[in-house]
This record gives sequence, structure tokens and C-alpha cells, in this order.
Amino acid sequence: MYKNYLKIAWRSLKKQPFFTFLNTFGLAIGIAGGLLISLYIHDELSYDTMFADAERIHRIHADIKFGGDGRKFAVTPAPMAETVQNDFSEVELAMRFRTQGSILLRKTGTEANIKELQTTFVDSTFFKMFGLALLSGDIKTALKSPNTLILTKSAAEKHFNSNDAIGQTLILDNDDSYTVTGVIADFPQNSFLRDHTVFMAMSGYEDSRIVNWGSNNYQTYIKLIPSANIEDIQQPLRGFLGKYVVPGVQQFMPGITEEQFKAAGNYLIYSTMPMTDIHLKSDRVAEISGNNDIQSIYILSFIAIFLLVLACVNFMNLSTAHSLKRAKEVGIRKTLGSNRGELIRQFLIESGLVSFGSLLLAIILAIILLPLFNDLADKDISMPYANPFFWLILVGSGILLGLFSGSYPAFFMSKFIPVKVLKGTGNNSLGGSKVRNGLVIFQFAISVFLIISTLVVYQQLDYIQNKDLGFSKDQVLIVNDAFSLGNQAESFKEEVKKLSYVENATLSSYFPTPSSRSDSTFAPEEGLTDQENAVSMQRWGVDFDYVSTMDFEIIAGREFDRNFKSDSTSIIVNESAVSVMGISPQEAIGKRYTPDMGDENPEYYTIIGVVKDFHFSPFRAEIESLSLHLTDRAYALAVKLESGDFSKALAGIEGIWNKVAPGQPFDYYFMEDSFNDTYQSEQRLGRIFFIFTALSILIACLGLFGLAAFNAEKRTKEIGIRKVLGASVSQISYKLSIDFLKLVGIAILVSLPLGWFAMNKWLEDFSYRIEIGVWVFVLASFLAVVISIITVSYQSIKAAIVNPVKSLRTE
Amino acid sequence: MIQIQNLKKSFRTEEVETLALNNVNLKVEDGEFTAIMGPSGCGKSTLLNIIGMLDNPTEGSYQFAGHEVAGLKERQRTELRKGNLGFVFQSFNLIDELTVFENVELPLIYLKMKKSERREKVMKVLERMKIAHREKHFPHQLSGGQQQRVAISRAVVTNPKLILADEPTGNLDSKNGTEVMNLLTELNQEGTTIVMVTHSDHDSHYAHRVVNLFDGQIVTESHNRKIGAMI
Repeated sequence: MYKNYLKIAWRSLKKQPFFTFLNTFGLAIGIAGGLLISLYIHDELSYDTMFADAERIHRIHADIKFGGDGRKFAVTPAPMAETVQNDFSEVELAMRFRTQGSILLRKTGTEANIKELQTTFVDSTFFKMFGLALLSGDIKTALKSPNTLILTKSAAEKHFNSNDAIGQTLILDNDDSYTVTGVIADFPQNSFLRDHTVFMAMSGYEDSRIVNWGSNNYQTYIKLIPSANIEDIQQPLRGFLGKYVVPGVQQFMPGITEEQFKAAGNYLIYSTMPMTDIHLKSDRVAEISGNNDIQSIYILSFIAIFLLVLACVNFMNLSTAHSLKRAKEVGIRKTLGSNRGELIRQFLIESGLVSFGSLLLAIILAIILLPLFNDLADKDISMPYANPFFWLILVGSGILLGLFSGSYPAFFMSKFIPVKVLKGTGNNSLGGSKVRNGLVIFQFAISVFLIISTLVVYQQLDYIQNKDLGFSKDQVLIVNDAFSLGNQAESFKEEVKKLSYVENATLSSYFPTPSSRSDSTFAPEEGLTDQENAVSMQRWGVDFDYVSTMDFEIIAGREFDRNFKSDSTSIIVNESAVSVMGISPQEAIGKRYTPDMGDENPEYYTIIGVVKDFHFSPFRAEIESLSLHLTDRAYALAVKLESGDFSKALAGIEGIWNKVAPGQPFDYYFMEDSFNDTYQSEQRLGRIFFIFTALSILIACLGLFGLAAFNAEKRTKEIGIRKVLGASVSQISYKLSIDFLKLVGIAILVSLPLGWFAMNKWLEDFSYRIEIGVWVFVLASFLAVVISIITVSYQSIKAAIVNPVKSLRTE
Repeated sequence: MIQIQNLKKSFRTEEVETLALNNVNLKVEDGEFTAIMGPSGCGKSTLLNIIGMLDNPTEGSYQFAGHEVAGLKERQRTELRKGNLGFVFQSFNLIDELTVFENVELPLIYLKMKKSERREKVMKVLERMKIAHREKHFPHQLSGGQQQRVAISRAVVTNPKLILADEPTGNLDSKNGTEVMNLLTELNQEGTTIVMVTHSDHDSHYAHRVVNLFDGQIVTESHNRKIGAMI
């Protein structure tokens, strides 16, 4: 029996190559898209699961509000790790990271430095916490002594050109010498330590031993004992405020109590998050590595489901339309003794065959498209060929898809009544057209929804890229590692400024694009110990040329001036800061604030200027309070270039660098690129939306094309009669197309409010965002209509130009 | 074999109820060859569909070989039909995607017969119908007469008690038509009961009895004295 089913399925598919192609190809696109997105989601969900006992490892977080604004930190005070280990029997192990960013390294006896981008101090419990093994070195002693470090395998090979790095000495930032005591394997791409290459012993880091509950700089990880429940330590962890933090703060704010602290609207809440959740659920200040947003996973999951459903709907639609041709066969089979169950089985086998073919095609498509997809999604995903689960899930979902998409056509077809279908008169009234119309509406509603989403995402990106940021990011080159020049940094800057294509240059560690951040709580001269007057501000050290190079607008007072000796104790603040202070920009000039709350002799800074707010955090966040002060310590040199040939400018600046810093790597980037990197996740989302919108439209069009072809064929006789009676080609094409356009019209009406609602929800995440204009909906509707007209009209015109004699003969 | 009493069949559309069969009483004995005649729309095909258990009557009784059929569910009708009834249609109704052999084999598959047994039976009937040399051909590769011979092969391969033929020669030229009618007569002479709907006076002469329908009612019944007169 099954052999007969397979045989007839195969022959019937072969007999209708066009429908078989549309069906198989449409489903294959859906499966391939779903497969790629599933691989992406699987990769995202696998972050940090490779570490031993990953489910027992948690990170401690701090939510702090003090002096104006509340922030969520991924870092906690230095004594946190030791304290939780002592206080909680549930905690088996605790360890800290103190990240250092990039460091210059060179072998002793050499001059040339090599830069490592991500380095960190770690406690010696690092290995035990994450279950790491050393490739070489002794795990018992590695990282125990000060001034020792371990390297990843690739870093060791880079610096020593061999596997034998143990015992060698490295000079860090031209200053401290460290001995290599171990080499570990590189961290996988889906680990939070993926970019870290150098791990230095915490025991040599002075600050880590100071019991200071007031500064948060350490990522603290804990591992629970197997039987412990993380919830049991949450409440006692909150109690750390009264137990440890307040007594610490009392040193510089005598007499302050926990109640007073809270009454002033402040808070400090310690909590924990499972390590394996961090990648998708944590977006805090001082993350060890860039995280993704769980929302993007949800959005992608929806897109994957949309695509698969679209493809299945396509399959159902084409199959039921096509099934009218099979009506006779159903009638004969029923007459000859087949019951409904047997017919359902037969058609399910047939759809299973198509979905199996689609699955094979989808795998081939996915293999071909994977490199492109990796580019698109910034990933390095490979097909898990060796994983039996992958195949199991793939084949399982192929069968499920076949059953799902084949079920409706099978039930629909098996219902045919032999008396009607065998007469050959019932073909046009077999029903099912309502369901088919509903499915077309559903498909186009999804497509229009995706078009709206794509337009809004791109419009928001465009808004971000072209919004007045309050500073000039264009044509600004940042030369890193200026600190390594020591006291020659200033003369390097002056030399660069002399170049003809350089407009201005400034030395600083702080820029409006991602760079160092530092904040302090400032108190006004009057009301020094009154915490209600405290203002928490970013505190950026800059030089005299900073404000003019960045092109900030001064709205009150003046910028730093070499002619004023007193400017060493002056600050410039932004609009947000004066609004937190509760005064106008003009009133702020001359006010004195100090970051040394609690000191006997606090150093006061006088506000000499107020700059217009500029965006130094992503648009998702509100602009925070900020202050600028003069310093001669700077990590980088920002150079504002005149427009023109940047390669010339680069060559000129590199020439000067090589003269003042021979052997040091010349490391630079453009501010605009760094700015754009901040919106990578939005840009990625935009690109993914674009691609998958295109795919869903393609699938919907394949379906519509097939239905239009079927419809034209079904109405051959009607077309012939109309032509004989004098209808023109255009009248007939219109007649054939308008029914489909009505469906697309309904789809548009359904999807507009949904699109409006969903995209407003997405935009809510941005503090600075566009308003969705009416034109978005008009354009999306217009595109859907034009695309469907093109799709349908080919078939309609083709049917309309046939000679009526031929049309009538087919009856 | 067939006992029909006070049988009614009505079709309801949105506004109108049409009575297709009105108080039909008919008895067909085992081995009888009956022709049903009448103008278009008189209810011939409706009656044949009910006799063939493809449709249920609205009212009345229909007994097939002693079983009451009226009111049976589709599944039960299917079971009763299998192996007992063979159909021959005007438009042949062969499955285009199956070969001659496979088309004829199909009812045996639904009877869950073993493969070797099927092969034997199909080949025997094809040889008898002189179409065995075309067993691997598809329907569209055959002439109309050949296609109808395949359809008759399919109808008789299960050795049914009753063959229902709906205008079996309607799509054939006279030569092929005669050939088909001779085949049906031969089967009848071997004991198969035949009920045939036809427009053709010529064909009706092959039957023992002609039943005339008009507006859903049997108006006359006549018996042919010379059975097989046209052979």
C-alpha cells in the first residue's frame, strides 16, 4: 500500500514540475532561514556553558543610586569576594576580575612592544572557579605570587614564538616586569573571556587588598556548593549595606545611617545573576565583554517561526489549490474502496516527500549561505555535522513540518465526495477557497508587518547616525597609547597640530565614543555633608584643546584657557549636571564643588563653563551629568582632520609617532567607526530584518504566483467566454488580479496597527527616538501592493492573451 | 440482489429543494442485466449512485444482498462496497499517474490482497480483456476503447457480484462501443449482475429489462425478449 502511495506521489509531483518547484523551493527557503536562525540562537544560548559546574557559578551585581542618578554595575567592591566566602556557608569559592583593558608587552631585552587588547588581574582561584587546566606550568603555584601572569596559547605563541613561555619575563607598559607561570588554551568564542589573553596575579595588585566598600571595580564571581540555593543568599546580601557599606561611608560622612541614606532617595542593592544568563540578560556598567540582548533572541525566534509558518502556509495553499486537480483521483479511490484514513495517509506521505526534498534543499542552501549569514550576524557559526542531535532535530522537524503543512490539504482532499468529483462538474465549487484566502491574507500581513519593522529600524538607525550629537565625530582620528610617550605626549600633540591637514588635537582618556569612564560624587561648598545636594557626575580629565577639538557648544561661561592659572582647579559641566544641581547654566558659573566629600581639606573646583549636552552614551540611555577638568594624564590623542585625503594625514601622524616612540605600535581608529560600533546590535538587527523580510516576501510571492497560475487555469473557460463576448486583455487581467489585490488590501489593514504597536514597543528602549511617520505605513502598503501586482499580473496577462478558441476547447 | 422500496432523494440548495427520486421501487435479481433509461435530469445517475452506495437516500429502504444500506455511515458503505461492486464510467475515470496494471490492481490493494495473488488476478483479467500487452502504459497512451477496457478490467478484477455502468459507451465510437457492450454481456452470462444507465436505445437492447425514469419516478418497465439479440 505504502509503495503505491509513494509511487503515485512521486509521479504526481513529477507531472507538475512547476508546482512541485514552488512548493519545494518555498518550503526550503523557510527551513533554511529557520535553520540558520536556530544555529544563531543555539550559539547565543550556549554562552559560558562550557565551564565546569557552570550552573553553580554566579556573578554579584550592584544597583546603586547616590547623588542624582541610579546605575546598574557589573562590579562590586574589592572586599566583596572574601566577605561572601566568609559569611555564607553556601559559597564554595569566590574570585575576582579587575579588568585592565589594553596593555603593551615586550620581552625583556627587546624594545618593540606588542599590544594585548584585553587583560585582567585575577585571583589565584581562577582555575578552580572555571575548571581550567594549564597547557604548561604548575597549577598549584601559577598566579600565586605577585608579578606573575598566565597567557593564552595564542598570546604565548605571539610573544615567544614557541610553546615554551614558562619562566620567561615580560615588561608591561614599559614599566613592571612579570614572569610567565602558565599557558592556558584560548577561550572559545562563546565565552565571556573570549577576547582576554593575559591574566595577571591579583596578589600584585595593591588596591585589591584595601578594604574599601565605597568603590566598585571588581567583577566578583561565586561558585555555590552543589546543594545550595542561590535565593538563600539574596536577602543577606542586601544586608551588606548596613553591615559593611554604611560603616565604611561613615569615615567621610560621619553620622550617616542606613535610614538617612535611604530617606534621601538613595539605594544600594547587591544581587546575583547566574553566569550563563549574563550574555543575554545583563547590560550593566563595566561588563567584562560585550553582551547581547535577549530581546534580539526573541525577535529572531519570532522571525524564524514566521518564516516557517509562512512556508508551511504556502505549502498548504498551493497543495489545496493544486488538489482540485487530484479530485478525480480521490473520487476513484473512494469508489474503489479506499476510506478517508487511507487517503489522509496517502496525502501525508506525499507532503512528507516534498518536505523531505525541501529539507535536503534547505540544508544545501544553509551550507551555501552560512558564510554570508556569519558576516551578517557577526558570528563564527559552523554546521554541527558531527552532532547526532543536530540531525535528529533536523529530521524530526522535517517530519513535523511535513505533517503540519500536509495535514490541512490531506483533510481537505480526503473530504471530496466521489459522486461530485467524478461528474467533473464540481471542480469549481469544491470549497476551501475561504481558507486559502485567509492564508494569503495571513502571509501578506506578516510580510507587510516585516516591511514596516524594517523601515522603522532603518529610520531609527538613520536618526542615530545623523542626529546632532552635540559634538563632531566626523574626521576625528584617535591615536591610542599616548600614555606610553610619557612626558613626550605633549610635544607629540604639538608636532601633529603643525601638520597642514590637522585642524586641532587634544590629549585625553575620555571621549564621547566608547572609551574610559570615571564618575565621582561632587558636593557643593555650601552643604558639604548634606547628601541631598550631592551630584554624581562623570569626571573626565582633558586638556586645553578638548572643548574646541570636540566642537562642544559653550552655553554659559567659557572653555579652559592657558592664560588662567586658576583653571587647574576649574571644571566645565554639562546641561544635565546643572539641571540636577537645580540651577540655571548662568547661575552655575562660579559655584564651587568638591569630589572629596568627607576630607578635612577638600579640594574645590570652580565651574567656569557649561557645555550643551552631548551624547556620550548610546541613544538607549539618557544623557548623564558630566564634568571636565584639566589633567596631563591621557591615554590617547584625538586629532581633528580637515576633510580630504585621510591616508596622507595618517602617514604624516604615523611618521611623527615613529620618531617619538620608536618600537611602539601605532594604533589608531576613527571616532565615527567607534560610534557606529556602538550601534552594531541595531545595525545587525536592521540587516537581519532586511534579509528575512525579503525572504518572507519571496515566499509569499511564490505562493501568490502559484495561486494566480492555478486561478487562471481554473477560469480558462470563463476567460474564453468573456473574450468571445468582447472583453479586452486589460479588462480580463484586471478581473483576474483584483481578487488577489483585495486580499492584500485586507492583509495591509490587519498588519498596520500590529506594526505600529510592535515598533513603538521596540522604540521605547531608546531614550532618543523617532516618531513613526504615516509615510512608513503608506510606503509599506505601497510596496506590498506593487509586489503583488507584479506577481499576479504575469499570470493574469498570460491567461488573458490566450486565443479564446483554445480556452474554450479545453472544457 | 437489490431491493429498493419507496426510495426518495432530495437535494437542498439555499432556497429550493429538488426531488431527484420520488418513491422509486425496484427489484433486481441475481444475474439480471438491467438498463435504466430516461431523459437528462430524470434521476438516472442519482439512482445509480445510491445503488453503488456512493450516496445515501433521503427516505426509503435499499437492501443489497439482504443488507439494509440506507442510513449506513460512509465508512460502512465503503466496507460493503469493497469487492462486491464494480464501477464503469462514461469518462473511464482511470488514475492518470498509474499504469494500466496499477489501475487494475488498485481495488485488490484496498482488499489487502497479497502481491503475488494480485499479479495473477490482474494479468488474468487483462488477458481476458485483450489489453495485457499494454500493462505498462499510462491511460493517456491508450485509445478510448482501450481505456474503457481497462476500466472494465478494474471493475471485474475483484469478481464483484454487481457491476454498475454509467453510460459505458458514451465516449466511444460505435465499434468500440459494441465491443464494450459485448464484454458486459459476456460477464453477465457468467453470472454477474449488471445495472447500466444509458441514453442509447441500441445499448439498452443488451439488457434483460429496461427501466424508464421520468422526473424521478419509474414510469415504465419493459422486458427484452431476445436476450443478447445484438451479439
